[in-house]
Amino acid sequence: MALVSLTDVTKSYPSPEKGAAPVVAVDSVSLEIEAGDVYGIIGYSGAGKSTLVRLINALEPTTSGTIEVGGRAITTMPERELRGIRLEIGMIFQQFNLFNSKTVRANVAYPLQVAGASKAEITARVDELLAFVGLTDKARSYPDQLSGGQKQRVGIARALATSPRLLLADEATSALDPETTQEVLELLKRVNREFGVTIVIITHEMDVIQSIATKVAVMDGGRVIESGDVFDVFSSPRNPSSARFVSTVVKGIPSPAEAAVLRDRHDGRLVTISFRDGDVSQAAVFLDLANAGLEFELVYGGINDIQGRAFGHLTLAIRGADAAIDSALAKIGARAEVTEVA
Amino acid sequence: MDRLFELGSEFWVAAAETLYMVALTLLVGGLFGLLLGIVLYTTRPGSLLSNKPVFNIVNVVINFFRPIPFIIFIAAVQPLSRLVIGTGIGNDAMIFALSIASSFAISRIVEQNLLTVSPGVIEAARAMGAGPIRILRTVVLPEALGPLILGYTFVLVALVDMTAVAGAVGGGGLGAFALTYGYRQFEPVVTWAAVILIVVFVQLAQFLGNWLARKVMRR
Repeated sequence: MALVSLTDVTKSYPSPEKGAAPVVAVDSVSLEIEAGDVYGIIGYSGAGKSTLVRLINALEPTTSGTIEVGGRAITTMPERELRGIRLEIGMIFQQFNLFNSKTVRANVAYPLQVAGASKAEITARVDELLAFVGLTDKARSYPDQLSGGQKQRVGIARALATSPRLLLADEATSALDPETTQEVLELLKRVNREFGVTIVIITHEMDVIQSIATKVAVMDGGRVIESGDVFDVFSSPRNPSSARFVSTVVKGIPSPAEAAVLRDRHDGRLVTISFRDGDVSQAAVFLDLANAGLEFELVYGGINDIQGRAFGHLTLAIRGADAAIDSALAKIGARAEVTEVA
Repeated sequence: MDRLFELGSEFWVAAAETLYMVALTLLVGGLFGLLLGIVLYTTRPGSLLSNKPVFNIVNVVINFFRPIPFIIFIAAVQPLSRLVIGTGIGNDAMIFALSIASSFAISRIVEQNLLTVSPGVIEAARAMGAGPIRILRTVVLPEALGPLILGYTFVLVALVDMTAVAGAVGGGGLGAFALTYGYRQFEPVVTWAAVILIVVFVQLAQFLGNWLARKVMRR
């Protein structure tokens, strides 16, 4: 059974203007998040993803639909009981939201105090967590003495203090530079692997999804417009909006403007060949072209690795007799997707 | 100058009276102001214990009393003062009036400073399963402590100012001293002696407040 299961979940706010229709932030979303997943939710700002994640730990009440966490319906639970549920769900934030008046140690200890742990338990657990995130030497520091990456590591340690099964990450790397982002993502991967914590990660950056997520949902206008395995969504997005996200990290078929530039600089026919792991090897494609006596040049594209599986799009400028090109492409087309660049 | 030396003991008594009035008011008014400020903060729409009726009532009551000029307020609460502390005149009546008036002003300062605590930090505490009272006690108040200390320092300076009109209800202090022995007896040296001591008090208070706030905020 799924660890988190959303069925037809809608969240709307009363409109700021009197009499106007309510603002729908999350619109009939259904998702299943399995235990052990790293589930990415991507969308532009205002797509409703931050609201969605706040429905999962009931920081915001759901307007309609049901959410179950660990088999318990949280949408009908009274606030007092929800506090118990929240102890089982960790959360980290874009702005870290550390307590500036407390030391690193006291920040990590806080959820344990809320949970009613004993002093000895707290000390032991905090030591363990600070060692895990590599900040043992910063225990007595205050958050304003730390770098952004260190702050987020404290945030992660704090979120894991009560050993939750689920960790919600709300744009957890968006305020960090690319290098620190990778560090934090590596740490989250370890959290997932070593502790088996299920992670829901909200982001607007596709490379975050690429480097950490196993499943992804694309949100637009409060709705989930596409969801599935990261590899599938990356290698063949079905929705234009998903395709736009994918194109931020994957060089796909050149846009008309890019195609015009390519055409200016290269002779011959421009053709994009899309590879998917296992379907066809690049070598076979290149061999077909060479055997047909065609001259070709790689002008655009890239090969990506998602969770150990490769896929990509290569645009070639092929020179030779038209008939020879057609027959070669027909042969390749039987095995890989071939798109003529218009 | 000679006159000031003749008045020596009265001068120091007046100084002690000012300190007494300020200290007691800061304690009583400060406490009520803190409570009122916390009520304003927590019941405000969208806050920890959001409660619109309570917020509106407290808000209106504070707005009703706040604009009353203090010298008139002293006279207006005199009957109440007689009822509660048994006297309508003197330093204690002054403290009574000042405590009420200042708690309304202080409640606004407390409210403002609590509002500076980032909503994100409160959300983080909620996400960890903390309830509203715990969040107020362990997150909001500690996070706002630095600004609160500066706020109370401001209040303390304002109280020194307000005690100067204690003479109006037969109270003492440096204000009454300066008016009685300086202004009315054409002794500018006496007036200025009171002024300088008040300035010294205020400087010391501000210095102490800044130091404490810096220590709390570690900058």
